[in-house]
Amino acid sequence: MKLLEYKAHEVFSAYRLPCMHGYTASTADEVKDLAGLLTYPVVIKAQVQTGGRGKAGGIQFAEDTAELLTRSTEILNMKIKDLPVHKVFIGQKVEVATEMYLSFTLDRKSKQPVLIFSTEGGVDINEIAENNPDKLAKVLIPTGPDLSDFVLQYVIDKTGLEPALQDQFRTFCRTLYTIFLEQDCLLAEINPLIVDQAGTLMALDGKIDIDDNALYRHPEIKEFRDEITDNPLVLEARSFDFLYIPIQESGNIAVISNGSGMIMSSIDLISKRGMQVTCALDLGGGATSERIAEALCIVAKNPRVDTIFINIFGGITRCDEIAGGVKNSLEYISQKRLVIRLEGTNKEIGLDILRTISGDLELVDGLYEGVDALAQGMNI
Amino acid sequence: MSFFIDTDTRLIVQGITGREGTFHTEQMLAYGTQVVAGVTPGKGGTEVLGIPVYNTVREAQERHDANATVLFVPPRFLYGAAYEAIMTGIPLIMTIAEGTPVHDMMRLHHLAKEQGVRLIGPNSFGVISPGKAKAGFMAHRIFAEGRVGVMSRSATNCYETVYLMKRNGIGQSTVVGVGGDMIPGSTFADILPFFEADEQTDIIVLIGEIGGSEEEIAAQYIQEHITKPVIALIAGKNAPKDTSMGHAGAIVSPNGEGSAESKETALRTAGVHIAESTEDILRLIKKLL
Repeated sequence: MKLLEYKAHEVFSAYRLPCMHGYTASTADEVKDLAGLLTYPVVIKAQVQTGGRGKAGGIQFAEDTAELLTRSTEILNMKIKDLPVHKVFIGQKVEVATEMYLSFTLDRKSKQPVLIFSTEGGVDINEIAENNPDKLAKVLIPTGPDLSDFVLQYVIDKTGLEPALQDQFRTFCRTLYTIFLEQDCLLAEINPLIVDQAGTLMALDGKIDIDDNALYRHPEIKEFRDEITDNPLVLEARSFDFLYIPIQESGNIAVISNGSGMIMSSIDLISKRGMQVTCALDLGGGATSERIAEALCIVAKNPRVDTIFINIFGGITRCDEIAGGVKNSLEYISQKRLVIRLEGTNKEIGLDILRTISGDLELVDGLYEGVDALAQGMNI
Repeated sequence: MSFFIDTDTRLIVQGITGREGTFHTEQMLAYGTQVVAGVTPGKGGTEVLGIPVYNTVREAQERHDANATVLFVPPRFLYGAAYEAIMTGIPLIMTIAEGTPVHDMMRLHHLAKEQGVRLIGPNSFGVISPGKAKAGFMAHRIFAEGRVGVMSRSATNCYETVYLMKRNGIGQSTVVGVGGDMIPGSTFADILPFFEADEQTDIIVLIGEIGGSEEEIAAQYIQEHITKPVIALIAGKNAPKDTSMGHAGAIVSPNGEGSAESKETALRTAGVHIAESTEDILRLIKKLL
């Protein structure tokens, strides 16, 4: 779960990591209420789940309340890379002397945390790695609760961080590493990490990505999970414990399956034949007919979907439950073309149920045959 | 002799008193696996399906000379249960749960290596040597005994493959569920040497998917050490970037790291036969047999 910036700042504050302080607002009225609390000039930042908001005009400054209201309203009415802005984060503008970069992330290759630091910041880290490798240090951290002195010394020596900042930097790194471990982060990134006019280090922008599988340990964060997506079908699926994955905006096929691998294989074969999947839904294991009917209704709500491909290799998932789910949801999905492949537990019972349904179900025996049927129906 | 589990495996089931634990213990027994003990803290002294239950792995191991354990415990208890099995020195530990925090797996992965025990999974169906024994929840009737070794990050793609093989009269030596998480206990490269040394294995099938770099690491290992033919399938070629495809580990970074293309290129360079689909795996096996 990728936190919005203001949420990342809240986490930093809770650990007393020096960071930008500010307030959030979702409407012009809320901005008005904040006016008395602010010291001008202020910065107004769009809270959206995408990079490049600065270039898109999502970060603006204001010298007084009148300007604050105009600019905030402007940003709140904006769409950045198709994402509507629901919230702004407003804080005192900081005079920046230097911009740097710091992050802890998970290195899947070595299965260890990795620290990346650069005395250059404010731009994409891959750009820095390419253009200024001398100013960047990347070091694997031996698994354990502490960040060793030698790791930090290596980073300082490699990047030539100026002596006056070194002590602050050590403390800063240790605190961010504690956040990385305690909050189950996949990524804890500060970009830019700035030095202000007084020579103090501070997080001006932060990205925190928390492992979804660990959210049960962080109920105070999980609460905000739904504010991150604007896709109502993702949210509806989540409420039934299904995973709904938007694939290609321009597609017309929905894939429903009972496992991540099977979903990927179905999409691969369909795409290879020149067709496009617009969304996929993972039922997980052991879904009942009631739940399967819900799943069908959810994908049918996507107006792009004209064809639903149900591809089941049932182990814990029973084919008769799948068939029952199709039967129960027919009135909601009758406008859509249905191609169904059932394999595994109770396959014959499932097929018998489907054969009693009057309507144009296309029953196929195998994944390949299913993709063939999809192609034939679309004259491909 | 199969390398991970066989007729002489003496298996512990951790979490045997739970609904899944009991159901799959029954299935494993029916398949002929020697389940010698169960462990559920607080339920010591009871029995499940005639199998004695203990409070600790240590007691179960000492009383029954167990040499493997399978964990049917929920993800939030996986760390504690696996830690106990590792520190007791059980040489083979198979974990099933989907949804284990990645920081927990990061610690367990390194701990198992330090302690010299083999950890498989999580987010895995377990391990099966068809006709001999199974530890996990796989539907065993779709497997058949034979000479092809299979390891897979995905359960469903693996099921599809072994079932196609069975219907075409081709069986498996050992099938390992590497698991779909970001950090597996054992990687493809960790398991490859066992298939290479296994007398029952003639061909190795690797079913990978997008995300991470285990397939690239395996490619390097294959190039340097594997003499048997290897077939690989990489699922997720058409998955959008920066989107988890269900498995926690199946995600391509925004900068393109973990792409199917990079994996296929590395494997192809190492002389691996690339399959386009599960059916294509079957075609390649037939060609190589």
